[in-house]
Amino acid sequence: MKMKGYTGKILKVDLTTEKSHARPFDERHARKYLGGQGFAVEIVYHGVPKGADPLGPQNVLAMAGGVFDGFPVGTGGKVAFAAKSPATNTLAESIMGGSIGPELKHAGYDALEIVGKADSPSYLYIEDERVEVNDAADLWGKDTRQVPEMLKKRHGWDVKVACIGVAGEKLSRIASIDCDDRQAGRAGLGAVMGSKNLKAIVIRGTNDLVPAEPKKLLGIAFRYQKIYEASPSFIEDTKYGTGEFLGWVNKEKGVFPTRNFQESVFAEREKIDPYYWAPKYVTKNKACFACTKPCGKLFEVKSGKFAGVAIDGIEYETLYSLGGACGNSDVESVARANELCDLLGMDTISAGVTIGFAMELMQRGIITEKDVGFKLTWDNSSDAVPRMVEMMGNRRGFGDVLADGVKVAAKKIGKGAERYAVHTKGLEPPAYDVRGMKGHALAYMTSTRGACHLRAGFYAPELVGKFWKWEGIDRFSTANKGFMVSQTENFMCVYDSVGLCKFSRGFYLIAKLPEVIEAITGLTFTEDELLKIGERIHNMKGAFNAREGVTRKDWLLPPRILEDPIPDGPSKGHKISVEEMNTMLDDYMKARGWTMDGVPTPEKLKELDID
Amino acid sequence: MVKMLVPYPENCTGCRFCEMACTIYHDGKINHADARLQVHRRGVKVDFPSVCTHCVSCGEDCCILHCPVEAIKKKDGKVYVDQEECTACGECVEVCPFGVMRMEEKAFNCDLCGGSPTCVKFCPMKAIVYEEPKPEQYEKVKKLLAVEE
Repeated sequence: MKMKGYTGKILKVDLTTEKSHARPFDERHARKYLGGQGFAVEIVYHGVPKGADPLGPQNVLAMAGGVFDGFPVGTGGKVAFAAKSPATNTLAESIMGGSIGPELKHAGYDALEIVGKADSPSYLYIEDERVEVNDAADLWGKDTRQVPEMLKKRHGWDVKVACIGVAGEKLSRIASIDCDDRQAGRAGLGAVMGSKNLKAIVIRGTNDLVPAEPKKLLGIAFRYQKIYEASPSFIEDTKYGTGEFLGWVNKEKGVFPTRNFQESVFAEREKIDPYYWAPKYVTKNKACFACTKPCGKLFEVKSGKFAGVAIDGIEYETLYSLGGACGNSDVESVARANELCDLLGMDTISAGVTIGFAMELMQRGIITEKDVGFKLTWDNSSDAVPRMVEMMGNRRGFGDVLADGVKVAAKKIGKGAERYAVHTKGLEPPAYDVRGMKGHALAYMTSTRGACHLRAGFYAPELVGKFWKWEGIDRFSTANKGFMVSQTENFMCVYDSVGLCKFSRGFYLIAKLPEVIEAITGLTFTEDELLKIGERIHNMKGAFNAREGVTRKDWLLPPRILEDPIPDGPSKGHKISVEEMNTMLDDYMKARGWTMDGVPTPEKLKELDID
Repeated sequence: MVKMLVPYPENCTGCRFCEMACTIYHDGKINHADARLQVHRRGVKVDFPSVCTHCVSCGEDCCILHCPVEAIKKKDGKVYVDQEECTACGECVEVCPFGVMRMEEKAFNCDLCGGSPTCVKFCPMKAIVYEEPKPEQYEKVKKLLAVEE
């Protein structure tokens, strides 16, 4: 039987020669890599030569919609970008909810491979078989809302646009890609676009998408819709967005990183907790494409010095990064800084953590007001944070020092600044103080793209105490964490390949996915087969990273996590000792079947059919 | 009282699930251009659904009045295109004030799924509700459509 659901084609565009061609793929490819992240990782794994400069023409930017993209599966519209990351030098993918993935499928392609470099600012225009590299001189320097506006005026309101802001043009290693006010934020993939002189990807697709079993698919969708609507998380998410559990993480668990991880309880958290601000600022719900369980919020500031701010947010992660991590309890300032990050095209997590880092340096006298030009201090955070975001995005003044994240900034600043730079593999961590979450600390190390909460999603099992096949998980224990993290990483690789939002993982465990995949593609999978695909994807990333010389020595936790115990709150006294770190890493390598240095063995790669 | 689709722009999140549900229900495939309703996503602030009002709120721009061969008719309060008589001239698509008259080989429009609209089932935010027509809601959508993108 011919596989359905897939378009069966991958479009390759060479920006240097402005030539493109579509290559077909068969069922074997689909069975091996599934789609979405799997397809994108495969493209980068096989396409980027060893030692390639992430910001050079040899790097490959891949984009692929998940298996569910374009089909009526609630929360199933995620698109994966991947490339060699300029932030980490590793194979990094960044996933976002935006209409560009489904639209690519309607245009007739499951994935897009962009190679080379345009000789002047350009944008890629795809309308079914028509593929053009167009001049973007007028778009250069424009922000992520102006760009789609201008392109829609030119090509019609129904085109979908993914673009970068000024930060991506200026090759900031924390630059993001934007689509529909959603971002593929992490690991600097916006800079990869910038390095290729690629300002935007514009797509219009007019083809039908035909699932294998339309009626069955609609029935499944309806069943899950009812499950979503009856769940407490639906009510919480629609009211408060992803920040709904901020108070709990902060107060009950004491793992809300504050003032650059100097504390893990933010005393002023009520001011940034959506339970308090949502009624005042949220004017509407927002959703990603195909999401019927919306966590997006339209946050509008109507008066005061930040009047006019309107964003899809503020997300939990941003409440931490531009809020707590900077000691910033002015939620309007957080919103403005968030808006500036979005418009300039910068990851809010990395931007906020980097500013918090610089604030600690000023606290310690390593940098001074003279270096920065103003008081980058905790008590001046409301003014300082948005101001610094703007300087970073434009690489102005001290903003240029911070524009590439903490690792590069610490090196530029010197004077012992490294001691306060919190990152793994060069990526700034998300909103969990892993000193009180041992398995999650391991996941920050093993994540192939650097510190990340979503490669394993291990914050949920450790904070809730149960997930999937495990119960009674103790967040302060290292026992079995190596195995569990490796398993949840495989789980997440499957998730990013089918294109489901990770907020659905409590509803769709892997065992529930085969019936949906079959209704769309006609292909049957067992739970084990899917997890094997997840394992394959993770191993490809691991093998790529090892090839680039990024091994265990580069995975280790930063000094703050290893040396400074949490000073107060429910996680008081906890840190990750070197011994605990090594024990967990050893366990993880064993669970993965990798060498103790973090290198996938030839036997493992052969077992997974990776060439 | 005949029930109709009533749009509530303020509730719409812009997810476009209704469009997918509509075409898969009717056509067994997904093509947003064939959906009998349309979601508009305009920047960060504005999302809204545009639906067929079955003559409740179209005024002068009525497809029935503009059809040169009188192929568009009304029965039990519902507007439909007589597939035998339709010449596919496209006049109705041009004139539809809500932009939801569709054309493949012949013109077609929303049939309310025989009284149990699929789009409504998949809209947990109640941006489209199946209820007594509310002209003021249709006017809201008309106003939004009048603003050029």
